[in-house]
Parts: sequence; C-alpha cells; structure tokens
Amino acid sequence: MSALLPYMPYALLLLFTLAMAVTGLGVVVLPNPVHAALALLANLVVTSLLYMVMLGAPFMAMVQLIVYAGAILVFILFVIMLMNLRKEEYTFKVWPMRALLGIGAAIVFFFQIFALNPHFVGKAMLGAQGPDAKVLADLIFSKYLLPFELVSLLIFAAAVGAIALAKKRA
Amino acid sequence: MGALPVYHYVGIGLLLFLIGAVGVIIRRNAIVMFLCLELMLNGVNVIFMALGRAKGSVEGQVIVLFIMAVAAAEAAIGMAIITSYYRTHRSVDADKADLMKW
Repeated sequence: MSALLPYMPYALLLLFTLAMAVTGLGVVVLPNPVHAALALLANLVVTSLLYMVMLGAPFMAMVQLIVYAGAILVFILFVIMLMNLRKEEYTFKVWPMRALLGIGAAIVFFFQIFALNPHFVGKAMLGAQGPDAKVLADLIFSKYLLPFELVSLLIFAAAVGAIALAKKRA
Repeated sequence: MGALPVYHYVGIGLLLFLIGAVGVIIRRNAIVMFLCLELMLNGVNVIFMALGRAKGSVEGQVIVLFIMAVAAAEAAIGMAIITSYYRTHRSVDADKADLMKW
C-alpha cells in the first residue's frame, strides 16, 4: 500500500480530469438546455472540489460554490424555466461549416496543451494548506482596493442595466 | 502528500476552455452558448489558481475572485438581453438574431 502512495496524486488528477471532461462535454452535447445547465452545475462542483482537494484553497472553493453554483446557475435555470424552451433541433443545413470551425478550434487548443513547457515554474502541492482568507483579504483591501471598488461599480451598473433591458416597454 | 507539476493543472484548464470554445461555436441555443462561455471562464480560473499556487502567491486567487464578480455581472446582463430578445422573437436561436447583420 505504501508503495502505491506516490501515485495517489496522479490517480486523483486523472479522476478530476475525467470528471471535468465528462461534465464539460455534457454541457456541449446535451440537447435540452436544462440538462446542459445541470451538467454545468456538476462541472462547477468538480472545479470547487479541485480547488479544495488539489490546490489547497478552501475559501475559493466555497466562493466558487456560492457564487457560481448558488447564484449564477440558479439565475440561468430560472430564465430557462420562464422561457419553457423546447429541445434544440440540431439543423444539419449549416452543420458542415459549423463543425469545421469547431474542429479547427479544438485542434488549435488541443495542441496548446502539448505546447506547455513541462519544466515551467514550480510544483503545486497536493492537499497542503494554502494561504487562507485573511491573506487574501489583506491583499484585496490594500493593493487591489481600486479594482475592488471598480468591480462593485460594475456590478451596480450591471444590475441597473439588467432591469432596464428586461423591463417591459410600456 | 506528493507534489504535481503545475502543467497538469494548466492542462485541465485548457481542456475546459477547449470544450467551452467548441460549444460556443457549434451550439445555436443562446442560453447554451452562454453556459459554454461560463465553462471557458471556469477553465481560465483553474489556470489562474494553479499558477498562483505554484508561485506561492495569493494574487492568482484575487484575480479569480474578480473574474467571478465580472462573470456574475455578465450573467445578469446576458440573461436580460436573452429575455428581451425572447420577448420579441419567441425563441433564443442565435442564428435568427440578424437585426444588426447586413
């Protein structure tokens, strides 16, 4: 058992990669928008687990769950529910052009994976405790104070804009 | 516990970005395109987290926090646009949105 211990991180990594790929492909492939949204939810949860288990960032894992899974996804599901969409009918008229573009993008990004330099920077420890929320807060409220305030302005503008856009014209 | 070279994590992030990009290109449903966009953002987040971790700094996490905030704002605006589009067209088919095409 102890001889297998060094391979543990790689087994976990493989597991996470597989889960990411399956749930991500689910978002792309599933014809029903509700199912696609639920696949995205699964993907976000897996990402959150990756932050927690592999990257030692429990705070970011929680933020990921609360903001993405809790707020954004519920929001999207509400909109889907209100629209009562039917299944998307795949049209095969425009299919060749679209598929060609998609495959082209896939090839470019796939080779980017191999273009990574294996000797690049250091190693990310597995499971080791990373910097906690206090360090994060120190940084946000000192060095990144201006961007932080600007983001709050952005969110305010987005809220007002969303109301103005979605409001029924009188 | 062992350590993993950071490029494994960058590979995961790139994979997510790849799947999302392909989804944006081949799907027609505006909402599903939006979901794929979130997938792409998520991939970038993973890369930021991993690189920040490898450098031993918190700044990667700070950037991810900002990306999440911008993604929330973007979701609000995007859903509002899709709602108002649906109201006039009774569908969310991105191919039928040709008001500004010429």
